[in-house]
Amino acid sequence: MNAKVKKAETGFRERFEMLDGVILAFLLVLAAIIVIPFVNVIATSFASQKEASESALLLVPRQPTIDNYYRLFQDPRILIGYKTTALILLLGVPINLILTTSLAYGLTRINFPGAKFLFFAVLLTMLFNGGIVPMYLLMMQLGLTKSIWSVILAYGVNTFYFIVMRTYMTTLPESLIESAKIDGASELQVLFRIILPLSKPIIATILLFYAVDRWNEWFNAMVFLRRNDLIPLQLVLRTIVMDSTIVNSLSISGPRVPRFTEGIQTAAIIVTMLPIMLVFPFLQKYFLKGIMIGAIKA
Amino acid sequence: MTVSQTGQRKRSAKDFTWKNILKHREKYILVLPGLAWYAVFAYIPIFGLSLAFKKYMARMGLFGSPWIGLANFENVFADPAFLQSIFTTLRINAGRLLFVFPFPIFLALILNEVRLGRPKKILQSIFTFPHFLSWVIVASIMVNILGQRGMVNSLMGGLFGAKPVSFLGIPSYFLPLIYLTDIWKSAGWSAIIYMAAISGIDTEQYEAAEIDGSTRLQRMWYITLPGIKPTIVVLFILAMGYLMSGGFDQVFNLSNPATIRVAETLDMYIYRITFRGSVDFSFSAAVALFRSVINMVLLFTADRITKRFGGSGLLA
Repeated sequence: MNAKVKKAETGFRERFEMLDGVILAFLLVLAAIIVIPFVNVIATSFASQKEASESALLLVPRQPTIDNYYRLFQDPRILIGYKTTALILLLGVPINLILTTSLAYGLTRINFPGAKFLFFAVLLTMLFNGGIVPMYLLMMQLGLTKSIWSVILAYGVNTFYFIVMRTYMTTLPESLIESAKIDGASELQVLFRIILPLSKPIIATILLFYAVDRWNEWFNAMVFLRRNDLIPLQLVLRTIVMDSTIVNSLSISGPRVPRFTEGIQTAAIIVTMLPIMLVFPFLQKYFLKGIMIGAIKA
Repeated sequence: MTVSQTGQRKRSAKDFTWKNILKHREKYILVLPGLAWYAVFAYIPIFGLSLAFKKYMARMGLFGSPWIGLANFENVFADPAFLQSIFTTLRINAGRLLFVFPFPIFLALILNEVRLGRPKKILQSIFTFPHFLSWVIVASIMVNILGQRGMVNSLMGGLFGAKPVSFLGIPSYFLPLIYLTDIWKSAGWSAIIYMAAISGIDTEQYEAAEIDGSTRLQRMWYITLPGIKPTIVVLFILAMGYLMSGGFDQVFNLSNPATIRVAETLDMYIYRITFRGSVDFSFSAAVALFRSVINMVLLFTADRITKRFGGSGLLA
């Protein structure tokens, strides 16, 4: 075992060619193109206006300050943003999961009257959808515009995630289910005692899929809500960035406009991005699994 | 769906007797919440598109408004902004196929050549991360680093004394901006599927080629690339299915009044006529119906073709 590893290592060193160097250098440049903007945004958010305007490439602020964050949180919209997004996440994700899991298990085997038709009706929505116009009118007619429920209910089941989950469930051994049924277990008992425990990895994956989608939601909220006390964080960020861009281009300097707009903008970006950064290690592990299962299907 | 469906199960599935339905009642209870959601929030909007042939009256609602035939479509096709938006959509998406589509393939090919496990993993993490951010965040980052006082301009000024350029405000820069930011955000993620395809290639081929004295570049070109060709073909055809859709989040967040002339895609146009300015929901519904039908035809065709190439496509 040990000898093998050693052999592989020396083998590698012997064969380290020009090409390896070129490829690695090229990939490092690509990685830098992705990483440097993030580093610059983080650095700007902790920098003073003076330092940001004086340095050609700000990567580490010499005198870090939390002034930008202090001023950002004076904007009441940030707290409204966190509250609204938390509400969407906490109400939305459980609904997403319950709808998707029960539907995926219910349609795992197409062996009851009408099942084929129902399965096809679900898949058809991937090809044909009404889009935002009738959805908006529907929400108006249901009296849900201006309510958080419009955003929550507009995104119920993601058909792609449904397929991923269903595909996983079809791979579970049918003999387990059959024997449980012979023992007199009901369909719900089978779901809770056998299917759900065995489906933990895929449920975790889909949970993360939905949580990220919910965190990143902004369009439905922009169209349906239109309330100053109910704005998801993404939309708050958008408003802050767009506002200051307009202010910059028009050179307006009113008393309420903070001077170092880039500082506030970048702080807002960090505040919106931070949760995704924190869960990214888990995301990577589970998402890779998810896309592999999806890839086998698609 | 799967091959394992036996004749026996098919027969029982077709058996619409009360006894059979009652026997499966628990299944119906299980699928009911999900299907109810599809019925209300997917199928009512689909049937709501019938508004395209009606004159919308707010108090009569989505289904009560009076029919007016094809009048809405006459107005839609008479609107030059509508025709322009179709052209803009095709132009942006054709460019995507040309410039954005090949990049993940290239990235997967060279990532596959990195023989050090740890750097490969770290690099892959870096390339994948932006995929999980919304276009609101990515556009905000781009606005910040590409702005007049942003990182790129101050770097160019510091190195070459170049004058600041408004990268986001010049219409001729808009398409390159779309392609480059698209690659920046999603190439790493899209590469994963090609990496998976590469890992499925039979290693004996490489060993045989090595014994025959081939170079690594030759192996990349004559073994790896042909090995993932089916995946490339399937994904390319599927991408053609999205020729008239997609990219709204990106275009909406990266465009501004200065570039809207080259940025108003069909989805952007629908947004503008529905939620900005004078609102005529029947007119919007006519455009929306046109969009949905075109997309369905494109996707359905793409789906059928991929099946011919051995992919399993979108639909079962």
